[in-house]
Amino acid sequence: MTLLSVQDLKLEYDGRIILDGVSFDLAQGELKVIMGPSGSGKSTLLRCLNRLATPTGGRVVFEGRDVLGPGVDERALRQRIGFVFQNFALYRHLTALQNVTLALRHLRRMPAAEADERALRQLARMDMQAHAHKYPAQLSGGQKQRVAIARALAMDPAVLFFDEPTSALDPLMSREVVNILHQLRDERVSMLCVTHDLYLARAAGGRVMFLDEGRIHAEGEVDELFGPNADPRVRAFFHQELRQAQTAQPIDAAQPMDQAQPAGPSGPAGLAER
Amino acid sequence: MSFLQILLQLAGGVGYTIMVTVACSLTGVVVGLGVAMLSRIGPPWLRGLLGAFTFIFRAVPVLVLLFIVFFGLPNAGLRVPPLVAMMLSLGVIAGAYLAEVFRGAFDSVDASEVLAAEAMGLSRFQILRLIEIPQMLRFAVPGMINEFTTVLKYSPFAYTVGIPDVMKEAMSLSATTLRGVEIYLAVGIIYFLIYKLLVTGVWALEKRTRIPGLTG
Repeated sequence: MTLLSVQDLKLEYDGRIILDGVSFDLAQGELKVIMGPSGSGKSTLLRCLNRLATPTGGRVVFEGRDVLGPGVDERALRQRIGFVFQNFALYRHLTALQNVTLALRHLRRMPAAEADERALRQLARMDMQAHAHKYPAQLSGGQKQRVAIARALAMDPAVLFFDEPTSALDPLMSREVVNILHQLRDERVSMLCVTHDLYLARAAGGRVMFLDEGRIHAEGEVDELFGPNADPRVRAFFHQELRQAQTAQPIDAAQPMDQAQPAGPSGPAGLAER
Repeated sequence: MSFLQILLQLAGGVGYTIMVTVACSLTGVVVGLGVAMLSRIGPPWLRGLLGAFTFIFRAVPVLVLLFIVFFGLPNAGLRVPPLVAMMLSLGVIAGAYLAEVFRGAFDSVDASEVLAAEAMGLSRFQILRLIEIPQMLRFAVPGMINEFTTVLKYSPFAYTVGIPDVMKEAMSLSATTLRGVEIYLAVGIIYFLIYKLLVTGVWALEKRTRIPGLTG
């Protein structure tokens, strides 16, 4: 059953085309990954779907209702969509537990005890119950992201949106997030994840769409998309990401200092003359 | 008359000094919060209006505004009690300064948290109440202490409208004993003690409500 259907979504801002006719469906219980370079319009796409941004054209049907039409209750729509951010966006003045109970208390008007119990269940699902009373500053990046996911899950959303959930995390912590995606996929939680992290896109294990310059250029299972017959744009992106990963290696893995070529007359130019 | 006796004589005005300071500071917090909140969520025209308010009230000398309120308003048929006149002048001016302190503190709240709250489905007012204000007030503590101290030091203007505060006591005592130096030295000590009490109180409150990792 189709949960979310995006049809020919367009967004123009300041004369620049951000989204240029994006279409895809997300089925109930499905995990879909939207991959693409920075500036390809991935995050904006997510924000159009819960009306944090306003598209200039196209249709979005969520749970059978046209989301972009007039008379849509934006706040009710957003409560059906759990949103997980790149930089976690935990409320820094609240404990992990209070972060998770906030929406339950103030949107669902749930009594404190009931909200706490429910939030603790979600924290336990993310293996974070031991840290329930810590403040965000006292948690690691991976732990913060797990609290953020528990917070998004607390409202029983129909779908979870992930906006670059690993880009502020080191590889070890990224793996925590991937494990959670797997866990939630096995629990049949519907998820849409945008990322430029190749590791995440591959490891998540859902269908992957490749978005560049506001358009979806390729879509398929992980192996198809990254396989030998990959779309040239996907391949170019792949190579660029790999290069960046290589240059980001620690200093001791690079060329030793004493072998570095000195610049100036005695450098490579001088050698070439001999 | 010993120095201790002078101190004790002046102590009679301490209550009034504290009353004026607290009343004007509270007025300032209410005005400053109102202005800063409305500027944050209000429409652009309102923001412009409030900007003009803070600009003007930060420019007017306290004593001038106090005299306009206390001696001017009765001409318009509006009698203002002395304490209210202090609140409408010193308090409102403090409010204009505090509005700026709060505006800066609001800007220190992480924009991504506000976005996350919006994505969660909270209303703009809920976001202000649940996310922004609790953080903003903590960021604003140093600026608030500054402003409360300024209010304390402007409070002697209260004697000009007949409130018998420390300054008023000192002037009458000085007129009858002609021992100005000792008396005003005592006044200085008294203001220092009130200042110390105020700062200690605010920092104790700050410490009790401190959140790890939020403020320095």
